[in-house]
Amino acid sequence: MEILALQDICFSYGKVPVLKDVTYRFETGKMYCIIGRSGAGKTTLLSLLSGLASPNSGSILYDGKDIAKQDKYAFRSKYIGVIFQSFNLITKFTAVENVMLSMDISGIKGVNKRQKAMELLAGVGLDEDEANRRVLKLSGGQQQRVAIARALSYDPQIILADEPTGNLDGETQKEIMDIFRSLTEQGKCVILVSHSPEVAAVCDERYELKKLSGKNNPKGRAVG
Amino acid sequence: MYIIKNALKCIGRSKGRNILIGIIALVIAVSACIGLSIRQAAESTKNSTLEGMSVTATISFDRQAMMQEMRQPSDGAVTDGQESGTQDRAFDREQFRDKMNGGTSLTLDEYQTYASAKSVQDFYYTLTAYFNGSDKLEPVSSESESEAASEPSADAPENGMDFGRDKGNRMGKMASGDFTVIGYSGDNAMTEFQSGTMSVSDGAVFSEGTAERQCLISEELAAYNNLAVGDKITLTNPDSETETYTLTVSGIYKNTEANELSVPMFGVGQDPANRIYMSAAALQGVLDDSTSVSKTVTDETTGQESETAINGSLSATYVFADADAYHRFEEEVRALGLDDSYTVSSADLTAFENSLTPLNTLSTMAGWFLLVILLIGAVILIVLNIFNIRERKYEIGVLTAMGMKKGKVALQFLTEILVVTMAAIIIGAGIGAVSAVPVTNALLEGQVESQQSSQMQMENNFGRGGNFKGGMQNIQPNGQNAAPDNISDGGGHGGFAAFGQNVSNYITEVNSAMNLTVLLQLLGIGILLTLAAGAVSVLFVMRYDPLKILANRD
Repeated sequence: MEILALQDICFSYGKVPVLKDVTYRFETGKMYCIIGRSGAGKTTLLSLLSGLASPNSGSILYDGKDIAKQDKYAFRSKYIGVIFQSFNLITKFTAVENVMLSMDISGIKGVNKRQKAMELLAGVGLDEDEANRRVLKLSGGQQQRVAIARALSYDPQIILADEPTGNLDGETQKEIMDIFRSLTEQGKCVILVSHSPEVAAVCDERYELKKLSGKNNPKGRAVG
Repeated sequence: MYIIKNALKCIGRSKGRNILIGIIALVIAVSACIGLSIRQAAESTKNSTLEGMSVTATISFDRQAMMQEMRQPSDGAVTDGQESGTQDRAFDREQFRDKMNGGTSLTLDEYQTYASAKSVQDFYYTLTAYFNGSDKLEPVSSESESEAASEPSADAPENGMDFGRDKGNRMGKMASGDFTVIGYSGDNAMTEFQSGTMSVSDGAVFSEGTAERQCLISEELAAYNNLAVGDKITLTNPDSETETYTLTVSGIYKNTEANELSVPMFGVGQDPANRIYMSAAALQGVLDDSTSVSKTVTDETTGQESETAINGSLSATYVFADADAYHRFEEEVRALGLDDSYTVSSADLTAFENSLTPLNTLSTMAGWFLLVILLIGAVILIVLNIFNIRERKYEIGVLTAMGMKKGKVALQFLTEILVVTMAAIIIGAGIGAVSAVPVTNALLEGQVESQQSSQMQMENNFGRGGNFKGGMQNIQPNGQNAAPDNISDGGGHGGFAAFGQNVSNYITEVNSAMNLTVLLQLLGIGILLTLAAGAVSVLFVMRYDPLKILANRD
């Protein structure tokens, strides 16, 4: 089922074009990988998808509705879970507090937030001790897991992850990818941004962005 | 709700920064608390003293206004103090004397009419007249008998005090006697005996309102003339030696202030030891008798004609329940027909206002101090908050990227600073409450000392010490200051009072300074400071773009 769609998206930083006429559709239950070389606009596309930036032209449809016409704060806090490359956790909070905070922001009520946060953290492989530790005292891989748990805390349909395995060793990388795979099996749409061939290989669909240069800028294209 | 929870969590996790903000807020709070307390203390001391104060007032002729009026026709006006013999120099002394000797004093009936004003709680008066002694009654004096005789202008002392004596003579016959006889309208008029300044050491006070010629004499006078209770004394009319009056001594009084006042300044009659007290009704009887046998005599030197009848001067005092009643009194007496050339004044209130001078000065200083502290404090808090917000830019980016609205982020930051400031203010109020009274009193003491030393300096500059206080009293209109109540209270009339013993009457201590008003004002200041500092947070948070923050971080 189509959950997110890009329609003729164009974006530029000042006079420097980054994305041009990008059109693509994302469905639930699938794992996508946006690939491309550095500067091709992968992170920019992720920002547009997460509602942190708005396209110069074209539209992004969530469940058939243009997100530009919706409350972007509500969109970010309820419908899409973003895992940033540098995790972007609140460093003075513990792992469980970070997860609970995202539940608070999304306005979830009627659940034991601490208990649910602990379950989510346990689901990504963090024990109770690690869950109650300040995030700065956790390793990169553990912080990545906290970021995943936080993104899942309000049960969004779409999970966006920027270079989710960039800082991880091979084994941890595999574990994380397994988590994403299990999410697609739960019916979620997982969109990964990566230039890792290994990550791209395990995804259901790949969308390659080409760096724009000169007048005949190539568009992005699906590569299977 | 989660915003408050988050805010508290953030305060706890950034102790260093918040302690720093807290200390600054605490310093502001303690300073503000002391400043506000000083202002409050000044206000409440004033109000509470006024509430419990029974105010007395007198009606007096406004001599200055009359003199001003008399100067107007001519251009070459001279000041009061300047003596000039030239006739074309504006001031008509003859006319002035005529007016002063004429109808400037109010009659007892008039005084009593004004006493019917609703605001008046009590009314009493004193009647003062001057007599000479007789062979068996000599005034207490350090001078020889012949010198002490009733020709004061002939032997002016060399200490420059002839000014006062000369004026006294010119003002009429009132001050030219060996004895000052004061008649009280009733027991309520005998304020010195009520306050304990004077007390009867032998015998008793004459019956209230009696027409019998009984009197009280001082211990010194009794000892000087070997008089005892029950003895009779004879007084003579200073202008007619054959006119004598006999009084019976009903009691002998002791004056606790006699020691400092015992030096005769303007004739022996002014010596407190030579004061004789009796009932006003009895004294009036004496004056009536004197009037009935009055003769017209001509002064050999000046050729002026005058009556030998003894003149008495009236001094009426109105008592009010509070200061408000006193303020209403003036309107009421004007409605009852009091002329504009008379003024209503209250020595108590003037003395009270003088006593508040150091406290009021301190209060004004505290107000400025408070303003400066608040301005500096607000600037420091705002700057600290700017640093705080810039330091937490990343956190703001993360929170807004997670979907937390900027308004809520700003609210969380505002809550944090509010909690820290309020905690500091509560602690500051506690410290302020404990220290406000001693600090206020210590500052007040310094202020009083400074006021006193500046007045002492003024006295030294005049080079006349305590003497000139009496000199000033002597030129008050209607001889009112000769009345004992005015003398004993340090001479509350006019600005001269501050030169004398009123110096020691300043309010030098406050008992309480902190109250609910101060606490509320302090809370208001806290909220204002928080809002000032918080407004900066809001501006910064609203300005930040999460994408830019996170992109820069990446």
